[in-house]
Amino acid sequence: MNEAKEKFEPKLVGFLCYWCSYTAADLAGISRLKYPPNIRIIRVMCSSRVDPVFIIKALLDGADGVLVAGCKPGDCHYQKGNYYARRKVALTKKILESLGLEPGRVMLSWIPASEAPKFAEVVKEFTERVRELGPNPIKRSSFS
Amino acid sequence: MAESTVLVYGTNLAGYRAAYALAKIGYKTILLNRGAYVDQYRNQALAQLPLDFCWICGHMPQRLFIGLGAMEVHYNAQILEVNGEPGNFVVRFKKRDPYVNNFACTECSACVTACPIEVETPSGKRKAIYEIPYIGWENVYLIDDKNCTKCGKCEEVCPTKCLKVDRPVEEKEVKVGAIILATEYEEPLDEDLKKFGYGHPNVVKNSDLARRSLLTNFVRNSLIRPSDGKLAQKIAVILTPQYNPKEFESYNLSVSCVYRAYRIKEVYPEANVKMFFREFKGYGKGHYQWLEKALSKGVELARADDLEVIGKGENLVVKYSLYGKAYEEEFEMVILVTGQRAPSVMEELRKVLKVEPDEFGFCKVDPFTSGKTSVEGIFAVGELTGPKGNPEIVWEGYGVVSEVLKYLGEPNFAPQPPPPFREVRGEPPKVGVFICSCFGEFNNYIDLERLKSKVSEIPGVTHVDVVKGCCTPPTMQEVAQKIKESGVNRVVLAVCTILQKLLRFRRVVMMAGLNPLLSEFLRLREDVIRVHEDRDKMLEKAYALIYGGVEKVKRAVAYATPVGKIKTGVIVLGGGPAGLEVARLLAENKVPVFLVEKSKELGGLAKTLTRDLEGHNIRDHLAELIRTVEENERIKVFKGFELVEFTGTAGNYYALIENKESHEKVFLEAGAVVLAVGGVEFKPYGAYYYGEDDRVLTQRELEEAISKDAVKAKKVVMIQCVGSRNETRPYCSRVCCSHALKNALALVEKGVEVTILYRDLNTYGFKENYKKIAEESGIKFIRFGKDKYPQVISRDPLTVKVETTSGDELTLNADLLVLSVGIIPNPDNERLAKLLNFRLDEYGFFDSDANACPYEEAIKRIMKPFELSTKGIFAVGLAHSPRSYTEAILTAKDAVGKILTFIRKPQLPAPNAMYVSAVKEFKCTGCGMCVVVCPYYARSIDKGRKIATVTPYLCDSCGACLVACPSEAAYLRDARGEMMVPYIDALLM
Repeated sequence: MNEAKEKFEPKLVGFLCYWCSYTAADLAGISRLKYPPNIRIIRVMCSSRVDPVFIIKALLDGADGVLVAGCKPGDCHYQKGNYYARRKVALTKKILESLGLEPGRVMLSWIPASEAPKFAEVVKEFTERVRELGPNPIKRSSFS
Repeated sequence: MAESTVLVYGTNLAGYRAAYALAKIGYKTILLNRGAYVDQYRNQALAQLPLDFCWICGHMPQRLFIGLGAMEVHYNAQILEVNGEPGNFVVRFKKRDPYVNNFACTECSACVTACPIEVETPSGKRKAIYEIPYIGWENVYLIDDKNCTKCGKCEEVCPTKCLKVDRPVEEKEVKVGAIILATEYEEPLDEDLKKFGYGHPNVVKNSDLARRSLLTNFVRNSLIRPSDGKLAQKIAVILTPQYNPKEFESYNLSVSCVYRAYRIKEVYPEANVKMFFREFKGYGKGHYQWLEKALSKGVELARADDLEVIGKGENLVVKYSLYGKAYEEEFEMVILVTGQRAPSVMEELRKVLKVEPDEFGFCKVDPFTSGKTSVEGIFAVGELTGPKGNPEIVWEGYGVVSEVLKYLGEPNFAPQPPPPFREVRGEPPKVGVFICSCFGEFNNYIDLERLKSKVSEIPGVTHVDVVKGCCTPPTMQEVAQKIKESGVNRVVLAVCTILQKLLRFRRVVMMAGLNPLLSEFLRLREDVIRVHEDRDKMLEKAYALIYGGVEKVKRAVAYATPVGKIKTGVIVLGGGPAGLEVARLLAENKVPVFLVEKSKELGGLAKTLTRDLEGHNIRDHLAELIRTVEENERIKVFKGFELVEFTGTAGNYYALIENKESHEKVFLEAGAVVLAVGGVEFKPYGAYYYGEDDRVLTQRELEEAISKDAVKAKKVVMIQCVGSRNETRPYCSRVCCSHALKNALALVEKGVEVTILYRDLNTYGFKENYKKIAEESGIKFIRFGKDKYPQVISRDPLTVKVETTSGDELTLNADLLVLSVGIIPNPDNERLAKLLNFRLDEYGFFDSDANACPYEEAIKRIMKPFELSTKGIFAVGLAHSPRSYTEAILTAKDAVGKILTFIRKPQLPAPNAMYVSAVKEFKCTGCGMCVVVCPYYARSIDKGRKIATVTPYLCDSCGACLVACPSEAAYLRDARGEMMVPYIDALLM
């Protein structure tokens, strides 16, 4: 049983805001920091663009976990976008809980543009966390 | 014919900001960088990093402007000779190109791999050629001249031939219309800091600490002692310019000192932190509260008169004198908040350009101007002309633009229009995927051919190709050609950092005749190749990313770039010095102005001023300003009028002003509004018998009396901070200490005995000199504590009792008691704020993102488009915050510079071209949610049609409106929901 869990490779989707977290990921690439390849990222201009529909769709259609990363509170390039994101993610988590989903599958993280090591850390930690949780129980189908 | 290009010498922020504003107005600049790379010579913000804030990428957009052709930058440059006259200068300079031409560099790092020389440095091993990674900026490859053997191996392997180990020094001659001197901040020399123990391993400069913390944030580990790796527990923070005559204190340093102490306590509450400074000179918005924050967190403060730091093994001993007694205290680490020294470059500037230095060694500039030096046509801005704060530096950048324009010819720069786009409507989507190999580099990590064959099977993909490169001029041409020939109408580029190369990739797509909305760029390098190791997993991830991109662009739709019409006039509310200066400068630049003044006279609060502390004649300058404005045909002056109705969006404002007496109403239209409504002197009724006793005056009243020669007193006592920096008004009004000194010096000349009772003497910058002169001329300074204000114990004779900070109780007789009171906001501000839908800050002054103070907090709120981020409404002068006459004029010049970047254009495109948000009109219910969430006020409800509309030149495509909209009526042209959801599904392949 444990062997099966170890082989389980979670599929993760990450929504990164252009000005902070996407930049941090860029810097991680430039600095050649290594992190697990399970995460597939989508760039949005601001974390406020992340519609709860995206998170839910991702989880229904094959993702085991979703990461939303934005700027640190007070540092949002568009002033308040990350606060809107915080509320939406909190609401989404509540809804997902009622669907029987573990709250640990959705993660909201503030990653400043210069903190590439933090980005790698967050991805590593999130990957391991979701690996522990196992495959997503509300996955309807994958897209293949 | 006057030349149109402007030469900027130096890389301080004011110079950059001026170059940027000039480019927006349509003028080219040549920037001479004395260093070998972009920030080798650090400007003030980079040298101090107050509040640990960098954001240099935000206000030094040089890469963009170089790419557009607006700015030409030369490195290792130095001016050799200047001839000619304003409008037609001929400048000869020498320069040496950097080893690596950043524009053609693809950052493949093949040169680093090929270099045979390894060098040991304190931060680890590196090669003789190495990279400094910057975020959102150009990565800089440097060659360490000491260790480089010039073997040339790096040059051999460079795929784009942008690296040459032999760069000769060259001379160039250019013709320019004006010269702006913008040289950088010079930190004090190490030997000048010896008295503070600098040289001992555990004495660190705040600027070094802040720079190190940029990558990790300021954390507990930032306090690890360099000597033994131990975490310092007892820390001293010393504001060195207050104890070092060789340093000048630039304005934010008090706050930097207090902020550092506060942050130490925040990350390490058990630490023992003590600050050493004599005066807290924080006068900007929020500055005073930083001091209160630190003190309430448990930081100690010693207002030492003098001090010295001596090493004691690994620790340090601070020897200081306080109220006449000597003390000693031992610390584990000492942090020095250092100031600036007089620019050493002045000697060269004086010789070559003939600009005169002032008595302190900085560049002399004329009063009431924005950087006018002793040579006409040559301007000096930023930290070159004197110690100042970061806000002032940026304001000077815009300010000098309004003065330089009159020397220039016609605009000589306009961004290239994109080539015509092919019409793709009606065609089924045909996606072309182009995978970059970075000149073959990527083949070492991932099987590109296998990726190509997998991608070619994705439904909708009609063409896949592996290309050599996509970011140098020849490779960009190649890819554009391939896209054209393949006949695709959607493009996915799997390339590298789009943060630094976005415009190049977009240009590739545009050169192929396609609207860039029909493309998507993926980071094959930073998201796959550089960060993972398993070849199969990398292939899988690359495939998934590309599949997602394909699904997104399949549903992409091409839209034209929306433009919005903009009106040319400007409404200036308020006829004080700031309002008058705005009107004058705008009219000089052919912009029609409507000046609305509430009272029957122009001049505002400055009407009763005579001279300032430095002796400049305010009265004459104001009279001249009023005359110029009244005689100018482009300025319509409305005296006795007030704003009663106001509506519209930035660029299209409609206002109704009314004459309070005659009830005449006038309807005005404008593209921008300037709030110059001024402030009011605080009247301390009830304090110290003010209003009841003729012998108690405010400083303004005293100044009037002095000018009328009506002062018969022999003994004058002044009390500072009356009604200021307390619970009700927790801010410093900046001018009161200078005002007191000015009046005191005038009185002392007449033989009057003056005593000044103060809490902190806020004489900032060069004003510090006047305190010395005051002490030497016999004026007594007595300090009292915040909670122990002086009291009037008798009115016959008028006697004041004060307990000094050293515990002595003094009684002073006075013939006149003068109260230094602050400036409070105009009582009409609340009504105006509601009318204009403009924020007030917590003190009641107008809050302004683009003008916020301290600048460090403003940077976080400054967004693109800078100039329109405050809805095209600019608060200047006292309406913004308390300041002196000269400083009010500076904010006026800054506002004019900002307004000129957009006001003369008949229409404005969106800052992000076609990537902005829009409204599906049939779905919109007019609920207004999107209006509330938009940070740029770009959305409004069309009152006639009751649906939302977007002002295109205000939108910066953040997407907040999309998520707020309950009806799915809001959409982003490049990230519509119908594109994003299939994107996510495909990603999960």
